[in-house]
Amino acid sequence: MSEAILVSGGHVIDPANSRDEKASVLIIGGKIAAVGHVTEADARNHGAKGKVRKLDARGLLVLPGLVDLRAHMGEPGRDSEETIAHGAEVAVHGGFTTVACMPDTEPAMDNVAAALFVRRQSEQAGYAEVVPVCALTKGREGKELAEIGQLVEAGAAAFSDEQRAENAPAAILRGMHYSAMFDRAVIEFAQDPELASGAMNAGYECTLAGLPGIPAVAEELAVSRACMFARETGCHYHAAKVSTKNAVRALKRAKKLKVRVTAEVAVHNLMFTDEVVRARYDTNFKVFPPFRTPEDVKWLKRGLQEGVIDCLVSAHRPVPPHEKEWEFGRAPFGAVGLETALAAAWMTLVGGDVLSRSDVVAKLTINPARVLRLDSRKGSLTPGHDADVCLFDPAKRWTVTPESLFSHAKNSPFLGTKLEGRVKATIARGRVFEF
Amino acid sequence: MPDVPARPWSRKDLLGLEELSSHEILHLLDTARGFQEISTRSIKKAPALRGKVVLNLFFEPSTRTKASFSLAAQRLSADLVDVVKEASSAVKGESLVDTGRNLEAMGVDIVVIRHQQAGAPALLARNLDACVINAGDGTHEHPTQGLLDIFTMREKFGDLRGKKIALVGDITHSRVARSNIWGLRKLGAEVGLIGPKTLVPGAFKELGVAIHHHLDDVIDHYDVFNILRIQTERQQKGMFPSVREYHYLYGIDQTRVSRMKPGVLIMHPGPINRGVEISQEVADGENSVILRQVTNGLAVRMAALVLTQSAKETHGG
Repeated sequence: MSEAILVSGGHVIDPANSRDEKASVLIIGGKIAAVGHVTEADARNHGAKGKVRKLDARGLLVLPGLVDLRAHMGEPGRDSEETIAHGAEVAVHGGFTTVACMPDTEPAMDNVAAALFVRRQSEQAGYAEVVPVCALTKGREGKELAEIGQLVEAGAAAFSDEQRAENAPAAILRGMHYSAMFDRAVIEFAQDPELASGAMNAGYECTLAGLPGIPAVAEELAVSRACMFARETGCHYHAAKVSTKNAVRALKRAKKLKVRVTAEVAVHNLMFTDEVVRARYDTNFKVFPPFRTPEDVKWLKRGLQEGVIDCLVSAHRPVPPHEKEWEFGRAPFGAVGLETALAAAWMTLVGGDVLSRSDVVAKLTINPARVLRLDSRKGSLTPGHDADVCLFDPAKRWTVTPESLFSHAKNSPFLGTKLEGRVKATIARGRVFEF
Repeated sequence: MPDVPARPWSRKDLLGLEELSSHEILHLLDTARGFQEISTRSIKKAPALRGKVVLNLFFEPSTRTKASFSLAAQRLSADLVDVVKEASSAVKGESLVDTGRNLEAMGVDIVVIRHQQAGAPALLARNLDACVINAGDGTHEHPTQGLLDIFTMREKFGDLRGKKIALVGDITHSRVARSNIWGLRKLGAEVGLIGPKTLVPGAFKELGVAIHHHLDDVIDHYDVFNILRIQTERQQKGMFPSVREYHYLYGIDQTRVSRMKPGVLIMHPGPINRGVEISQEVADGENSVILRQVTNGLAVRMAALVLTQSAKETHGG
C-alpha cells in the first residue's frame, strides 16, 4: 500500500484545516501525505516509491471524503435485498467514504459479534468504511442496557436504539448516564413513538389525503426530553433527523445553555414538503420523519445557518421495489440517499445562499466525524489521516432516474428531478473509484 | 365560462371529487338523471356495457355500496365478478398492484375498488389500463357517495349555489365528508362541519368551510344536515368520552329537528346507528331522504361506469 496518488489542479475545500484554495493533495500508502503546492517531484521527498498516479482535478472541487452519520444497511437480516458491501459501494458513488450504519438490523446490532461482523464485511468489501452505531439497549427494547463498554472496544462509533416500539424514558436516561463514561454520543430518535405512528406529516395535506398524521409535536417532545437528559447526565446527545421548527428551537435553547448536544437533518427533508404526497400517493415520498411544511424547512435551513444543526445525513434506507408498490399507509418508510445527498445539499444550500461552500462541506465531513469520534482519521485532509477524498463537479447536471443510480434499490424521492453536481471520483483509504 | 372542457368527460378513472371540475360533476349527475328512468321500467336493462367485465374488488366489508355497484353493472348488461379480499392477506401475499394486474390479464374492463388504505385506488389506476372507480379508500374519498348525496340535494333544491349544507359527526375519519366537501364547494354551496374538536380537524377551514363544535348554536342555519355514522371504536380510542355524551351533544332527534329550518333535508350515508347519531323517528321521519339516497346511488354509479368506460375507449386507455 505504498502507492502514491497526486490529485492536482482542483480547488480544495477542507473546513477542518480552514483551507479553501487551489491546491494538490498527495496520498501515499492510503494516507494523506501533503496538501498544498505539491508536485510529482515533491512526492519523492514524501517517501513515494515507484510511479505516482496522477488524477486531474481541474474544474473540480476536492473535498474530504464525505462522512454519513446515518445509513441503513440490510445486513444482517435482509441481506437477500441489500448487503453492507453493496451499501458501501453505493456510498463511494455518492462521494461518501465513511458510513455509520444504524443498529435496526435483524437481529439488532447490540452485541460485540454483530459490531465485529459489520467491520469485517466493510473491510472485505473495501469501499467506504462502514462503522457500526450499536444499540443502546439489548434488542433495542428500551429495557436492559447493551454491553456498551465492550461495544466501544469492538468499534461502536455511537449508540442508538433507532426507532423504538415503546416509549422508554428510564432506559434513555440510564443509557445516557452509562454512555457518558465512554465518551460516545447517544443518537436518540427524535420522535415520540406513540404520537408519531402515522404515515405523513399531520396537518392540512394529511387531513385531505385521509392518511394518519405524524404531528410535529411528537418530535419536539422527544427532542426536548433528550436535551433535558443530556443536561442531567453530561452525555453527548445527538438528535437524529430533525424535521420541525419547534425541534430546532428546542435544540437552540439547549445549545445556548451549553448542553452537549448536536443535531442532524436528512437532506431530503430540506428538499420536499408534505404537498408532494397527495398528488400521487407515491411511496417514494414516504420517509421518516415525514416531509413537513415550508415553514419547517425554513427553520431547518435557519438551524443549519446558526449552527444549531451540525450535520447533513443521507438517511439512506433501501426498500425493495415490491414493498414500495404497497399502498402508501402500509408501505415501509425510507428513501435511498447516498448518491443524491451531496448534489441536493449543494443545490439547495449553496445555490440557495443558505450556507457557504465550506459550511456545507463541514456538515458532511468533519462535523459528523466528530460526532462519531472519528475525526482523528476521518473528515479532513490532514496529513497522516485516511486518504478519503471526494472529487465533485458542482456544475454537472443530471436527471435522477432508476438507471442513473448505482444502488439496487431505487426508492428515491428525487426520481425525475434534475440535480446539479455530481461526484466524478472518490478515493477511499487510497483506493480510487472514478465515475 | 372559460374552463368548459371540449369533452364533458375524459377520465378513465373516478378516484375522487377533488380532481373534478364543477362541469365534470354536473355532467356526471346529468348522466345519472338519464339512468334513473331505467329503474322504473319493467325490464331494468340497458345495453351500454354489454360484453364488458366489471370487477368489484372489496378489501373492506360493504353491503350497500357493493350491491349498488353490482346492480348498476348488471343493469348496464355488464358481466360482473366479485372479489372480496381479507386485508391481511394483501400483506402476506401478493401486492395490490399484482392482484390488479392478474385480474386485468383476465380481461377486466372496470375495477371498482374499496380499500382501507387512502390512495390505494390511485395506485391501482396508475398501474392498470382498466378503468378504476374508487368505492371508498381509507379516510380519503368516497366519490360515488359524495355524488349521490349531491344528486339527492339537487333533487330537492336544484342549483346548490348559496345553499347551506352541514356535515355532522366524525369528519376526521370520514371519506364521505371529504367527497361531500369537495363536491359541494365546487358547486358553490356553503359547507359547515359540526362535531367534537377531536373529530373535526381545523385544517378543513383552509377549504373555506365553517367549523362548529356546538350543534345547537347553528341548528337553524342549515338547509341540509348530512349526518355521518359514528363508529364506537372511535370512542374506545378516546376520541370522545361516551356514546351517551355524543348523543347529548350531537345526536339528531325530533326536538332538534323541530328547531331546524322548515323543509330541512336529513341525510345519512348509512349504515345508521339508530339512537346514537340519529333517532329512530328522525331517520324515518318526513324530512329524511335516507332511502332516496340509496335509490339515487344506483343511477350515479351507472353514470360513473358508463362515463369512465367510454372515456377509456375514446382515449385509448
